[in-house]
Amino acid sequence: MHAMRCLALAALLWILACPSWAQEPISNLPRNQTLIVENPEGTIKNAGWFNIWAVNAGGQSTGLHQLAMDTFWYIDPQRGIDGVWMNSLASDKPIYNADFTEMTVKLRNGIFWSDGVEFTADDVVFTTELHMKTNGMRWSAPFQVNVASVSAPDKYTVVFKLKKPNSRFHALFTVRWNAVWMMPKHVFEKIADPLKFDFNKPVSLGAYVLHSYDPNGKWFIWQAREDWQRTTLGRYGAPGPKYVVYMDPGPPDKRVIAQLNHELDIIHDTSAEGMFTLAKQSKTSRGWFKGFPYAHPDPTLPAVIFNLQNDLFKHKRVRWALALLIDIKAVSMASYRGAATISAIAIPPTGTHTESYHAPLEAWLTDFELDTGKRKIRPYNPHIGKEIADMLRPSMGDQIPTSAEDIAKSFGRGWWNADPQAATELLQAASFTKRGNEWLTPDGKPFTVRIVVEGDLRPVMTRAGSMIAQQWRQFGIDAKTDVAQGTLVDRRAGGDFDTIISWSVETWGGHPDLSFFLDSWHSEFVSPPGKTQTPRNWQRWSSPALDKIIEQIRTVGFDDPKSLELGREFVKLAVQEMPIIPLMAYNVFTVMDETYWKGYPSAESDPYTDPVPNWGNSRVMMVKLKPTK
Amino acid sequence: MNAYATYALKRLLQFALVVFIGINLAYLITHATPIDPVEQTVSAATAFGNTSPEAIAMMRKSLREIYGLEGNLWNQYAIFWQRVLVGDFGPSLSAFPTPVSTLIGRALPWTVGLLSVSTILAFALGNLLGGLAGYFADSRLLKIAGLAVMAVHPIPYYIVAFVVLIAFGYVWPVLPISGGYRINITWGWNADFILSVVSHAILPVTSLVLVGIGGWFMGMRSLVSNVVTEDYVTYAELAGVSRGKILGAYVMRNALVPQVTGLAMSLGSIFNGAIITEQVFGYPGIGTLLISAVHAGDYSLVVGIASVSIVAVSTAVLFIDLVYPLLDPRVKVS
Repeated sequence: MHAMRCLALAALLWILACPSWAQEPISNLPRNQTLIVENPEGTIKNAGWFNIWAVNAGGQSTGLHQLAMDTFWYIDPQRGIDGVWMNSLASDKPIYNADFTEMTVKLRNGIFWSDGVEFTADDVVFTTELHMKTNGMRWSAPFQVNVASVSAPDKYTVVFKLKKPNSRFHALFTVRWNAVWMMPKHVFEKIADPLKFDFNKPVSLGAYVLHSYDPNGKWFIWQAREDWQRTTLGRYGAPGPKYVVYMDPGPPDKRVIAQLNHELDIIHDTSAEGMFTLAKQSKTSRGWFKGFPYAHPDPTLPAVIFNLQNDLFKHKRVRWALALLIDIKAVSMASYRGAATISAIAIPPTGTHTESYHAPLEAWLTDFELDTGKRKIRPYNPHIGKEIADMLRPSMGDQIPTSAEDIAKSFGRGWWNADPQAATELLQAASFTKRGNEWLTPDGKPFTVRIVVEGDLRPVMTRAGSMIAQQWRQFGIDAKTDVAQGTLVDRRAGGDFDTIISWSVETWGGHPDLSFFLDSWHSEFVSPPGKTQTPRNWQRWSSPALDKIIEQIRTVGFDDPKSLELGREFVKLAVQEMPIIPLMAYNVFTVMDETYWKGYPSAESDPYTDPVPNWGNSRVMMVKLKPTK
Repeated sequence: MNAYATYALKRLLQFALVVFIGINLAYLITHATPIDPVEQTVSAATAFGNTSPEAIAMMRKSLREIYGLEGNLWNQYAIFWQRVLVGDFGPSLSAFPTPVSTLIGRALPWTVGLLSVSTILAFALGNLLGGLAGYFADSRLLKIAGLAVMAVHPIPYYIVAFVVLIAFGYVWPVLPISGGYRINITWGWNADFILSVVSHAILPVTSLVLVGIGGWFMGMRSLVSNVVTEDYVTYAELAGVSRGKILGAYVMRNALVPQVTGLAMSLGSIFNGAIITEQVFGYPGIGTLLISAVHAGDYSLVVGIASVSIVAVSTAVLFIDLVYPLLDPRVKVS
């Protein structure tokens, strides 16, 4: 017994003697010069692998693609550091010939790799040709599909000759999260098999170089280059943080604890509850919005996606009926605890889209008439965003904005009125019948709808799906959620769903062009039932009217105003046909701690970029952040 | 051939059969999963980027070739066994082309270290307390200890882990809550690194010991309660042998035999990993690797981890079977 007591006492003394272990998570780096960021990829299995051109071999958002990679252009999902469009390695915008079969790129000079070799057109030609002759690299296929030849007439000019007209070929080299990153020719030309080369230690084209990494994949440390002026960020000034750590802090609860202890400067994403805890308990933590709803609306649009190859959903009146049975306010509360930014149209309500699409189409939406089979109704309610704000005000007080503009930014504008009577008429017009409290399909079977959700891997979307299932069930439809967990990707691609809570709309955010997702919605890419569908037309929508819009977009330039007009035509068509029921932006609870750093992007004062730190675009934060101490 | 050699040979054959069947089951189950590693890779590669459908179809075809997923299941099965027989589980499909054995080799020492320390600590403390509680049945202190141990034992592990985490990571933040060592520390046999590893292991080990100690405690107390009623114990007491000697040499030593069997089984199963512990404490190890492999549909890696576990548990059982007749004369080899 004496030994036991001694042991317990010794353990207690030892713990008391070592409190500093918990306070200093990093060894040998000055905390006030170090930015600590969450890497949402978690623990990297293959930590020593930095060859980002080998698909899925190692980590990407370990800082590798944010801080060490570069390419021709960036489009910012918000306002940008000096505008949405950023010429990065290119000195100007892409130059196409008249029929879009040739693209010329003028390169910026004076840019150097971290080992002192100058970046030139030879690197671009090498990157392109290596992808063209090697199957299985990350961008092999798009190069092989598009490029006939590439040449470098001089050190700072590259000319791509294309196999067929492509007015959006430059998108391959334009960062929206990522893009084709340039390879160092002088390193890779000595490698026999580029798919089996780890590129460790990586030669960087960004403003940082690899300092060290955890062989177990928990953390990666990057150090500002001494010659940062010779990188494309150099023109914006010196990087603020000398060191940037990307780490896996663990599940959402631990991220919150780590930030409360000031051991994690940027949380990539946490739960709504985690965000509310930080807002309440930490004076130095802030989200994209200083107050409610805090989260950044990413240019991604969660929606109820129908499987349009399922006979039940072929009639647009059925799809509309299901849309009018949704009470979006309840979905907003269930999914994001009210912190959702809703959208009635198939465009994420974020970046410049609200000015390009949501505001200009408001009048059209208000006047939009839907024929239920018995009467015509105007289903759009432009006040739902305000109603959500009013609903939250009693509990959240001054945090809820009051001006119409701020409410629209935070909670979205309008949505469809929940209208069970109109839904009844629409279903009856589509030959559905009701027996007792149960709806039957035209062939007399119970109207059963399975809503596939991802489960605890994506709780926000899962809660939205559960609420929608409940609302449909209350109306007499046999609706249930079906939790897919890790099989979601396969089920979505295989069309193994009635409806699925996911997204098939992703946009640039800062640019109105919709080709980023819309081109893949052309009917030429729709797979037969049972076959794997290529991204992103998960709903397998085939429409001659849509094809016409897409084909017209292909013939006009990226910045051509006609492209925006065609985008609005798409929006109207999608409202009329309702192939997906748009719900809201994918709001990300990125939380930034201002204990050690200031200058984070924010909705109110300086929306210079999307704060979500796994985006390649987040590199600009490094030149805006300044130490507080 | 004597009886023991025959017995050992039979056990060895059983061992080989169990390992063969186990690895085959792991292969079949993983290949029956609806998660396709190629689709996972395509999804990861295109989740954010701008890629045309034509290009994605081409990427899908290339990945099937590179991952060796072309051809029928029988061909893949034959290649699998050719590799396994030389200890090679092929490349990981979610960290291609890194070999599965490299990934397991990197993660395994952390899991083995964590779980062997916590298993042995729980075994030692549980048996010691259980033995004392069984022998000194009237001690109030030991009754309280017994109550405490039994109160913690039925609580689900993840709750105990979270309580420990919040208590020592937030309320009284004296211990690190994540990782196996400090960020940017230099690896090596130096005091800084060793202390860092030890400090990071305290919370996960404590949580495992708190939950694990109860089983050993109750088993040992029950065994000792039976042993103390044996004639030879009564005889020793009547003969004036000291209580300490009776407890150590006569009671606990005899009661320990079935507990040692349990220990060997527990040590064998440490190769399964501690999935919840590693997730909650962000500790590096085989459990995190396994979860990640399952989500990615990386069946090469799942089969590799499962095989290590099958071999480890089977080896532990084989070891017990072979050693038992030598240690305990009451176990007869027929």
